[in-house]
Amino acid sequence: MIVNVSSEARSGEDRPVTPRDWIEKNPQRVEQADVVVGIPSFNEADCIPFVAEQAAIGLKTYFSDYRCVLINCDNASKDNTREAFLSVDAGVPKIYLSTPPGVRGKGNNFRNLFQKSVDLGARAIVVVDADLRSITPRWIKNLGEPLLQDYGYVAPIYIRHKYDGTITNHLAYPFSRALYGRRIRQPIGGDFGFSGKLAAVYLESDLWDEYVSLFGIDIWMTTLAINSPFPVAQAFLGGPKVHRTKDPAATLGPMFVHVISVMFRLMERFQDTWEKVQWSKPTPIFGFGLGDPDTPPPVQVNEERLHSEFVAGFRRNEALYRRVFPEDVFGKVQEIAGLSFDQFELPSNLWAKIVYDFALAFYRLEADRDALIESFVPLYFGRTGSYVRSTQGIQLRAVEDYIEEQCLVFEETKPYLVERWKEIQEG
Amino acid sequence: MPKIMVVDDEASIRMLYREEFEDEHYDVVEAEDGNGLLERIETESPDVIVLDIKMAAYDGLDLLQEIRQKFQELPVIISSAYGAYKGDYKTLAADYYVVKSSDLSELKQKVKKALEGVVPPKKG
Repeated sequence: MIVNVSSEARSGEDRPVTPRDWIEKNPQRVEQADVVVGIPSFNEADCIPFVAEQAAIGLKTYFSDYRCVLINCDNASKDNTREAFLSVDAGVPKIYLSTPPGVRGKGNNFRNLFQKSVDLGARAIVVVDADLRSITPRWIKNLGEPLLQDYGYVAPIYIRHKYDGTITNHLAYPFSRALYGRRIRQPIGGDFGFSGKLAAVYLESDLWDEYVSLFGIDIWMTTLAINSPFPVAQAFLGGPKVHRTKDPAATLGPMFVHVISVMFRLMERFQDTWEKVQWSKPTPIFGFGLGDPDTPPPVQVNEERLHSEFVAGFRRNEALYRRVFPEDVFGKVQEIAGLSFDQFELPSNLWAKIVYDFALAFYRLEADRDALIESFVPLYFGRTGSYVRSTQGIQLRAVEDYIEEQCLVFEETKPYLVERWKEIQEG
Repeated sequence: MPKIMVVDDEASIRMLYREEFEDEHYDVVEAEDGNGLLERIETESPDVIVLDIKMAAYDGLDLLQEIRQKFQELPVIISSAYGAYKGDYKTLAADYYVVKSSDLSELKQKVKKALEGVVPPKKG
């Protein structure tokens, strides 16, 4: 059993991770692998055994001609995640990697995974969330096989409840699609694949920052993949994503700030690309033929809370909104904030402008970007509440039409963003 | 002149689309089903494909996946009499989905948009 603990790791200081600054347990002394399944985690001892078992079956069933390994990339969990993972009778070699104690962040887990995958010479790396209850071995096949056909990145398509993934539906998906011209339906899905070559690109990138090391990692990876030399694809995973869902009206936590900040920050680097993109295009999709998928479990939403958070947030941030929005947009937002719960609606054409105005304000401001994104949250609640109201009683696939229409609005409104971005640069 | 390939098993539809799009100064080629379709796309090099779904011996949505995997950037517009297929995730591989109508204005608009769609080439 190899245990590698660098002297810096023992210190337990809170600091960003540096290459190979990890705690490693590699009982089977794996030094090379073609196909990796990575499972990032923090305190997932109760869930990770099931995920590891399913992933291992996937590797044994569909990649039996390849050298495979399971890697748990952990944040020094204190709930015995390591033991739970390593004790799984997988029939596939396992490696446990952890950031040093005190070094947190999903992104830091991924950075370790990138480095280890490159060290192993891996061609294909599939990542799955540690809290999944709906994973099947087939997920590993569908996310992994295209990578062995020279795709660089494979994003998931799975059935999600219409009220699950609201940051994706109203921000990450329409925004990244309109900007970069590629329709990645789940850009922050949590279960995806990337090639060893793309892992090397990620390691060499100078676009890493604190929020990427935390919850901004998914949107960072997707955006860099779309803008990399490698083709991207999507994989239909056949069933609903069943994991720990949350009421979108519940506290967002830091994830919102991290994801949106990274999304906006990357615009500066990829400006040359997104300014030229006109309309979006689909990707190849793999993995159909799995039969009819199940219905995802319900997600309860507190609509009144979404409305009240929107209204209270407007009052709290009114002065800032006056600086962010042009007069006509501010006027409309103000009007909607004055409506009662029964009447309020925040339509997608206004929402697209709100998002673009925030991206512009983020670009203009060097300081107080966190405060800016925090002030965005009530508006996101308003849009979510309006969407919930508009889609009650509508079946899941019809809701996809609604999301598609919103995406087209983002694309059609894009000249609004491009023109104002150029004004800022020339100003 | 941009070239449209119309894939539909109904001769009347193919004729209608040919007339309408040739009036708009498109070059039109026809395919009545999926037989040898990928090879025909390779040799004819259409700029956009208009693809039916329910064809007697071929499923247009399965053909769509084959086309998309082989010709990643080639615009494909689904043209179907049935709006219900929008519920099928396979349609995500299409650029646009248009429900068939005697009024072709939406289809024409989507063809124009598909031809305008520009994604800058990947660097590297």
